[in-house]
Amino acid sequence: MLDRPVLFFGGKGGVGKTTLASATAVLLAETGRRTLLVSTDPAHSTSDALGVPLGPEPREVLPSLWAAEIDPDVAADAYIAEVKARIADATPPRLAAEVERQIDIARVTPGAQEAALFDRFTQLMAEAGRTYDRVVFDTAPLGHTLRLLALPEHLQAWIGGLIGRRRKLGILHRVWRNVAGAAAGEEREVTDPVLEALEERKARFTAARATVTDVARTAFVFVVVPEWLPVAETDRAVRTLQRYGIPVGAILVNRVLSGEPASERIGGHGGQLEMRQEIARRFADVPRRDVPLLARDVRGLDDLRRLVAHLAPDGRRGIP
Amino acid sequence: MNGHRSPQEFWRRLRRALRAAREVYEGVYIAPYRSQIHRQYLRERDLFLLAGFSDLLGVPNPVMFYTLELYPELIEQFHAWHLRMGMPQAPEGGFRCC
Repeated sequence: MLDRPVLFFGGKGGVGKTTLASATAVLLAETGRRTLLVSTDPAHSTSDALGVPLGPEPREVLPSLWAAEIDPDVAADAYIAEVKARIADATPPRLAAEVERQIDIARVTPGAQEAALFDRFTQLMAEAGRTYDRVVFDTAPLGHTLRLLALPEHLQAWIGGLIGRRRKLGILHRVWRNVAGAAAGEEREVTDPVLEALEERKARFTAARATVTDVARTAFVFVVVPEWLPVAETDRAVRTLQRYGIPVGAILVNRVLSGEPASERIGGHGGQLEMRQEIARRFADVPRRDVPLLARDVRGLDDLRRLVAHLAPDGRRGIP
Repeated sequence: MNGHRSPQEFWRRLRRALRAAREVYEGVYIAPYRSQIHRQYLRERDLFLLAGFSDLLGVPNPVMFYTLELYPELIEQFHAWHLRMGMPQAPEGGFRCC
């Protein structure tokens, strides 16, 4: 699984996905892969986990480890600026003010951040195998992430519909010009800028979809703790991803108690064993890996390096 | 009286005759379809406006943020549309195209 260029880490809130995503990124970097760790979680826990402040642009935090936190607000501003720059030349001057105004209205509506996040997401995903050997995404809690990953499929279909309409419009326009001659007005350029913009969008969605569904390129890693609610939610999420054809690479069972069962009162050992059996039963088709509950909380790069020992594929207990 | 005709004069007359024939042909065969084709073209154009900017009418459009580049073109078409619909000024709440 660690050989895939794009890794997504997901799971219910609070199960330790940021910690394990960071540790995995450290592991990859220490084995010499140029690795980018990206957090799309608005909680910005990755800065806390690494003990290094992060921004929207990747910064090097260790040799061959870069990290960034995508801020939906900053991403939305960047996205809007990019759109404005792209259409600046094509906009007739008398419409320029109104076009600006409409785009600024779009900027403050609720979908803008998601769109921008998705756009940035696909850009960084495309960096895997180019600027970086590996891109590790630490994603926001499950529902949101699933939506983001399923998005290309829906958008592709919708844009495809628009492209179909636009092509038909082009044909009708040509027919009209043939019968009307001069009455049809000035010659339109042979290429249709609207159609081009739509086609380009569609190509981006198609590429994103191709990457997230490519078993050779992508794996989704679920982090779960042996408790009922995370197990139930993860189960649903795994099935959803499988339905969308997104490969589930592994399940990391975090905070597993080791040693002799202590009394029910302090550790709930009995409960953990039961839930671990439940996990084995429900996810029999997915490679699993236990990560022990450590004696102390994981905080900063040194602790992450210690945690790496439990993730390293050293034969005994490698990430599957 | 038979005057001498230059070749230029001959070609000029031929061209005029052909043009006249073409106008007759268009009037007889194409004109009935012309308005129909134009209407169909305009309908398709409105439909695209609706599909691309359904959110302006309150119909959710999941790709709205991925089609912001279409604004210049569509504001222009919107302007043509409201003129055609007999509204000399853009209706309130839509694009301020006028």
